[in-house]
Amino acid sequence: MCCRLLVFAAGLGLFCVVIPGARADENVWSGLVVATNAAHQTPTPPEMHQLRETLQRTFGYNQFEVIGQSRKVLQTGEENWLASSKHFSLHVDARGPSRDGYRLRLQLFQDRQVLLETDATLSKSSPLVIKGPQIGAGQLLLLLVVQ
Amino acid sequence: MFMKTFEENWTAWVDGKLSDAERAEFEASLDDRVAAEAEKNQAHKLGALLREQLQPRAMGNEEFFHHQLRGRIAAEMKESVPRRATAARESWWTIRRLLWTGASSLALFAVCTFFVMREKPTPSQSQYLTQILNARVDPNVSPYATVSIFQTKQDRVTVLWVDGLKSLPPEYATK
Repeated sequence: MCCRLLVFAAGLGLFCVVIPGARADENVWSGLVVATNAAHQTPTPPEMHQLRETLQRTFGYNQFEVIGQSRKVLQTGEENWLASSKHFSLHVDARGPSRDGYRLRLQLFQDRQVLLETDATLSKSSPLVIKGPQIGAGQLLLLLVVQ
Repeated sequence: MFMKTFEENWTAWVDGKLSDAERAEFEASLDDRVAAEAEKNQAHKLGALLREQLQPRAMGNEEFFHHQLRGRIAAEMKESVPRRATAARESWWTIRRLLWTGASSLALFAVCTFFVMREKPTPSQSQYLTQILNARVDPNVSPYATVSIFQTKQDRVTVLWVDGLKSLPPEYATK
């Protein structure tokens, strides 16, 4: 009788401690975007709706085309993935959860050559934008958003 | 039998409870018969007066109501005393029931907490912004590249601004 009660109480305690702290799986969208100026704009991809105005204001372009993207559901926060286009690829190596997001190592490749390496803590509700090389009359942008 | 004391005989004499023989004997023993008779008369008068004065008075409506109420309260108090005693002897709160009640309350609390926390809207914006810890451009590939970092607090966007990378032809924008 007492043992059953103790087991019940222990289970309850565990429930109370674990459930509130449980972290739901989160989706990180990574995109390779070419920003250009166009007279007739095409619709912005849904992943970029929130960022469109900021990008337009910051970089001075009015059209954004996704040339490569990846969606990754983070469960442990230590996954890695690749978003790539024909000539560029962004390798993302998640190195565990941080205070309010994830620690990441990012590498931008142009074909097989590393153009840029960076370490960042990607926070929820705070996207990361990286300005890449100029491509023709446009600009390569790398975007990472926790969704 | 046994000898009565003078006081007992006196009281019985005043109340007229002595037999004829006893009365005669007692009256003969009195030193001052006249004073005793006077005292007896006084006692009778006093008794009559007290009986007359101490008759229960007729109660008015209000008094009658109060009287009834007091009587009922007294009756209920008499009843409640044994009931309390019984409750003290056999409480419903046995140890087992106490434990089960406590555990059930905790379970209920946990379930309510779970649902309340689940329904609580998560704050749409975290207080932390994305941070760039470091950035490196290969100097052999892009010797003139510079890196700067800024954050647009209003939009909560962190920008890693890299200048000086080699410009590429438009075909690099293909998917």
